[in-house]
Formats: sequence, C-alpha cells, structure tokens
Amino acid sequence: MKTKKLLAAGLTAAMVVGAVPVSTQAASDAHLNFGCYVYSTSFDPAHYQNAAWQGMRWGITECLFKFNDDASVAPWLCDTYEVSDDHKTWTFHIRDGVLFSNGDPCDAQAVADSLNRLFTVCEGADYSSTPNQYIDMASIEADTDANTVTIVTNVAYADLTGPLCFPFYSIIDVDGDTTDAEHAGGYSTSIIATGPYVLDSFDELSKSGELVANENYWDGEVPYGSITMTFIEDDSTKAMALQSGDIDLTENVTTISDLQNLSADDSYYVSMKDGVRAGFAYVNFNGILANDSLRQAVFMAIDGQTLCDVTVGGMYSYGPGVLPSSLAYADENLDNPYAYNKEAAIALLDEAGIVDSDGNGIRELDGEDVVLNFVTYKNRCLDIFAEAIMTQLAEVGIGVNVNSTDSDTNWMMMQAGQYDLLNQNWTTVGTGDPTAFLLNWYGKGGENFYSEENAEASNYCHYDNEEFDKLYEQFTQSLDTEERNDLVVQMEQILINDCAVLVHGYYNSTMISNASKVTGADIPAFDYYWLSTAIKPAE
Amino acid sequence: MQKKSNVFVKNKMFTILLILAVCIGLVAVFAPFIATHDPAAAVLTDALKAPSGDHWFGTDKLGRDLFSRVIYGTRVSVSASLILVACIFLVGSILGILAGYFGGWVDAVIMRIADMMIAFPGMVLAIAVAGILGPSITNAVIAITLVSWTKYARLARSLVLKMKNCDYVEAARVTGSTTIHILVKYMFPNVTPTLIITAATDIGSMMLELAGLSFLGFGARPPMAEWGLMLSEGRAYMQNAPWMMVFPGLAILIVVVIFNLLGDSLRDVLDPRDE
Repeated sequence: MKTKKLLAAGLTAAMVVGAVPVSTQAASDAHLNFGCYVYSTSFDPAHYQNAAWQGMRWGITECLFKFNDDASVAPWLCDTYEVSDDHKTWTFHIRDGVLFSNGDPCDAQAVADSLNRLFTVCEGADYSSTPNQYIDMASIEADTDANTVTIVTNVAYADLTGPLCFPFYSIIDVDGDTTDAEHAGGYSTSIIATGPYVLDSFDELSKSGELVANENYWDGEVPYGSITMTFIEDDSTKAMALQSGDIDLTENVTTISDLQNLSADDSYYVSMKDGVRAGFAYVNFNGILANDSLRQAVFMAIDGQTLCDVTVGGMYSYGPGVLPSSLAYADENLDNPYAYNKEAAIALLDEAGIVDSDGNGIRELDGEDVVLNFVTYKNRCLDIFAEAIMTQLAEVGIGVNVNSTDSDTNWMMMQAGQYDLLNQNWTTVGTGDPTAFLLNWYGKGGENFYSEENAEASNYCHYDNEEFDKLYEQFTQSLDTEERNDLVVQMEQILINDCAVLVHGYYNSTMISNASKVTGADIPAFDYYWLSTAIKPAE
Repeated sequence: MQKKSNVFVKNKMFTILLILAVCIGLVAVFAPFIATHDPAAAVLTDALKAPSGDHWFGTDKLGRDLFSRVIYGTRVSVSASLILVACIFLVGSILGILAGYFGGWVDAVIMRIADMMIAFPGMVLAIAVAGILGPSITNAVIAITLVSWTKYARLARSLVLKMKNCDYVEAARVTGSTTIHILVKYMFPNVTPTLIITAATDIGSMMLELAGLSFLGFGARPPMAEWGLMLSEGRAYMQNAPWMMVFPGLAILIVVVIFNLLGDSLRDVLDPRDE
C-alpha cells in the first residue's frame, strides 16, 4: 500500500482541526434571508440528483471530500486516506470528533451505514439517484477501532476522492438502518447530517424552508442562528427582492441588466466566477447536420465571442473546447479551424451546392429547405443563445425554428432524437474529471447510442469517431494525471475538428449579497456549494 | 348614401375612432413602407441601444430595431385579434342559435358545456389549453376561442328564445319553410346586430388576452414581432432598457383603447333604443 497525501499543508491543518475537541456552540441570533431557486422538495441524497445537490447547497449535508475552485480535492469529513497499488481498495480515515446535528457521532460505522444505505435503496424503484454511475462499488466496510471506512471498487479509479465529492455520497445519519426498513419514505425533509445548518422546516407548497444553526457543528462557529430560504423562480424578482431588502443574499441572477445594476451599486457585492459548467448545443448526427459542409458552415456562421460578450452580457466566457478554459486542460493548445467567418461559411455552402435556388431566402439541401430544429429551454440564457443563433444563421441562408420547451420536454426530445441542435448546460467535471461528460460523444460503433432499447447508453447525438473512442477508453484506463489531461485535450480537439458539439461558452456562476448585511458571500466554482460558514453577518 | 353620411356627421366620435382604426389597419398593411429596418435583422453588437435618430424606439437584446418591430407587430396583433373575434362570433352565435331554436336536449348539452366553460376562470383555462396545444399564435387563438364562445352563445340563445315564437316565425313555419331556411333567414339576421356590437367591443379585450398569452409564453414564439411577446422579452431588461417594454406596451394601449371606444360608439350608433 502506498500512502497518498492530498495536500501536505492542507492535510496537516485538517488533522489539527480534526483533533480539536468539538465544543457545543452557542447559536448566534443573527438571521439571514436567502432567496434562491429551489430544485427539489426532498433533501435525501438517495432520492434523486437535485435532492442530493440541494442538501449540500443549503449547508445541511457534507461529503468525505469537497472540491476547490480549480477542481482539486480537499478533505472534508475524511482527513486522510490510503489506496492500494491496484487502485481498487481505498481506506478513508474519518475525522475524529465529528457529530451529526442530533449529537450522534459521525464515525466510520455511521459513514459506512450511510453509504451502504445509499447503494442499497438506489437499487429499488423508489429512489432515482445513481451512485453506481460514478463508483462501481464492490463493498463498504467500517473499522470502528481505527475509525476508517474501506471502500473496494470493481474497477480501478485514478482518484476516487473526486467522485466522493459528488453530492450523492453525502453522509447522513441513517441510525444503522441501511435499507430504509424503518424509514419507508426515506429522509426527504427529516434529514440529519453534519453541515453547519439543520433543516428546521420545509413547506412543499411554497418550496421554502427554515434552517437553524447546527449546535454540534465540528468546524468552528456557525455564523447564523437561523436562515430563511425563500424560493424565487424568476431572476429579475431575485434582483428586485435584494434591492427591496426582502432578502440579503441570492444566487445566479442570469439577467445581465439586473446584474449590471447590482454591480454598479456599492450597496451590493456581486461575486462572479468562471464555473465548471459549459453551455452547448448537441448536434444531431442522425439528421440534416450529418452533412459535413452544412455543419461546418453553421459553426462558422456563429459569432460565439459576440454572443458571450454582448448578447448574454458576459454571463458566459467563450471558448471552442467543450471543457471550461478555467480547468487544467490546456485550452491554449486547442485550434479551431471553424472559428467565426461568415464569408467563409457562405462560400462553403455555395461550394457544396447548398444554395437557395427557389429564392425564398433559405438554402436547399437535396431539394429541401435547410430549416434546423433548435430545441432549447429557458435556463441560464440558453434561450437567448438559440434566438441569436437563429438570426445569425438566417444571414447565411439557413433557417432555424427555435422550439423553447421546459427542461423535462427538452430532455425527452434529446432522448428521442427530435432535434437538429439541442441546448444544454452541464457541469463538465462533476466528479473532478470529465469522464461522465465526455461519454456523451463516445460512440463505440453505435453501441453507446441512446435508444429506448439501449437506455443505458449516454450518447444522445449519434456522433461516432473511432479515434475519439480509442482516446476515451485510454483515458478511463489511465491512472496518470498528466497523461489523462493530455488525452482530454486531444479529445476536445477531435470534437472541434468534427464540429461535433456547438459550444456556446462557459457559464459564470454568481452570488449577490447586500454588502451592509452579509460578508464573505463568494460563489464557489462548483455549484454544489452555496451556504457555508464563510458567509457571515457584516460587522 | 345621404343617410350614411348623416350617420358619420351625427356621430363625430364614432367617425374619428373609425378613421383611427382604419389608420391602424393601414399601418399593418403598409408596414414594410413605414418600418425603417427589417424587423428580423439582428446586429448583435447593437443590442439594447437607447432610442436615437438611427433607432427611434431603440433596439432589443439582439440588436433589432424596435420601431420596425412595433410597426410589424400591428400585423400580427390586429389580424390575430380580428380572426379570434370572428371565430368566437361564428362558433358562439351558431351554437347559441341552435340551442335556442331547438331547445330540449340540444339546448341542454350546448348550454351545460357553456356553463362548464364559464365555471373556470377564462384566462386560466386558456393557459391550460394553450399549454396542451403548444405555444403558437394559432393555438392561442384556438385556446381563447374555446373559452370565449360561451358569451356569444348565451346572448344568441336568449335572442332566439325571444323571437322563435313570434308570429312571423310561426307564419314561416306554417307556410312550409324548412328549419334551415328559418335559421338562416330569420334567426341569424335578427341576432347579428347585437352580436356585432358585442364583437366590436370585444376586439380590444381579445387583443389583450392574446398579448397576455404571448407574454406568458403560450402564444407567439420568437422571433415573431408580436407585442405581448415583445413585452415579455423586455421584462428582463426593465431596469436598464425600459424602452423594450414601454413602446410595445404603448402600442397595445393605444390600439386597445381605440378599438374599445370604437366598439362603444358603434353601440351608440346601432342601438335601436336611441331612435
């Protein structure tokens, strides 16, 4: 066994913190009003993905590890770990002295129970989280004397700490019941975990809740005695609620004019950060865009830089690669042969015989007007991208029907292949690396094409490139970080060369606070984390 | 001809409003000559420009000229509203006449359906219908027709009930007129004036309902230049680019007021009780 240390300095600090005996904090009487989007009415990480995320965003649950802004991993409930040479047996030491909010110890046994319960109940139909998606688990066992949890996986992982940051693997108090026999309805709103805040009440109708300070919190003082979490769906309403003083803090105002107003006013602190999300449109290779010339011309007709800087006012940062340039995958090495060039797009179309012969302003391919079906939904400016792209393509004689749906319909249309372009905004490195994200373009000769019969598959666009597949397989098997990073860049370049995915840009997350009331409200790059003890009342 | 000109002279208000309404129609017809830009042409770098000599009403989020879009919006809004009112008028009056004339189970079925429709708040039902049909201006017209015909049906039915036992109808029956003949020659012409007045006063409110549906995302779809949709698009920029809401809003206000007043004065002109 070789011992790996995460970050030498961080580790030492973490152990010191871990060794400090937990003192019961006198709860502060400060109160915070947080207006935010509420994605779920459950907080049980086994329930479904949004429920898992929400528990963590609200500062209720914590994982063994957490991501730093650069996608590196920091210790959280686990302070040290060891891994076997074959990268299949991982032993995690649980930080000493951690308690659940109800005062029960969060020790190795509690952690193993929580994870075992997650994997067990998610096999049933009542729970739709997919913990197996990121960790191919063989066994989870606790050593109570050493306070360690040993996780054995079926395949080798270069680094299991990344997946363990994912909110699915939040640790909750299941009280030894690893099958939910005692809790038939799960832990929807009765969740007990280790975060700084505890869910005191939640109203399903208004999707709003009350948090109180966790008096047994292990990592220092909890700044607020209580927090009101108010569900606000509309971006402008969030901004106006902040301006009117109804709320002190909000997240992700995506209307750029509201954001500009708030930024210009010293009364508010706007934290904006290059996130790890990419906004992009799937290109359906089972449709008209399978035509190389047409696809290349479409890509060249779109001015991505202006779309990001002007049309969505900097809410996205432009780049041609499918992964955000803020990540460790050397973006400057990418070359985009299909950068914006309207004249070249027109010339390419003319050359390929895709011309407007009936004079209706729209070019024809095989005798039919080229009208692309662009499916989008109203989220994170995606609909604005679609509309703007429609106007840009009209200039080169390509018609577009923008079909703005809700996110569920969008997802169904993606699965059914009913689109030419389909907008999505995804976290690219949800588990610390793009293994899951890049699977979208892994074709495997059609074996990974999604269909009703092949519902396990994850390629929804029917893109298939042998070289990409080979690199992807190499990537998943490699345990060497440098080699893996290099392979990712190569895969990104192939996607650019093939015009396989229309990248809009990289989404910038925001958090806005009333500067006179709140301090330390910085948005992390990973939007698993909203509330933390760093957010405090202003002096 | 003499009589007609008298009507116009006697009802100055009506004449003025009629001229204004005709002007709105002309704006719709001659939109390409009035607009200063192509309403669909986007210059992304010119987004959200304030009103100026180049762009009288400013530009929207995609750098499209708002003045041209408001002018072209007249086409969509006015024509859709007129088609909508025509649909409601036809569906409502035909069903109302049938219910009133035949009575019995025909009356019961039609009027119970109408009661059912009235039991729901109109806009909510229209949103539900438009939501099921999918967003488009055509579907918005269908949705509002489905919830608004009841008013005309009830009106037509009550008018028919009043006259179906009149002597001239009885006379027509005993002289062997067919039911169709009676319906078309006696019933329909007699209910029409009242229904036309109702329809005229409804144009404005129907326009508002259509704009409302578009505003909520159940009507016109981008990139169509429709006032309700333009309002909705401008809402997000209300604080920084208020012109995106002000001008389409003003257009709706002006046109709705003109059609409402026109409907009122038409009622004054045609109301037989005044004579």
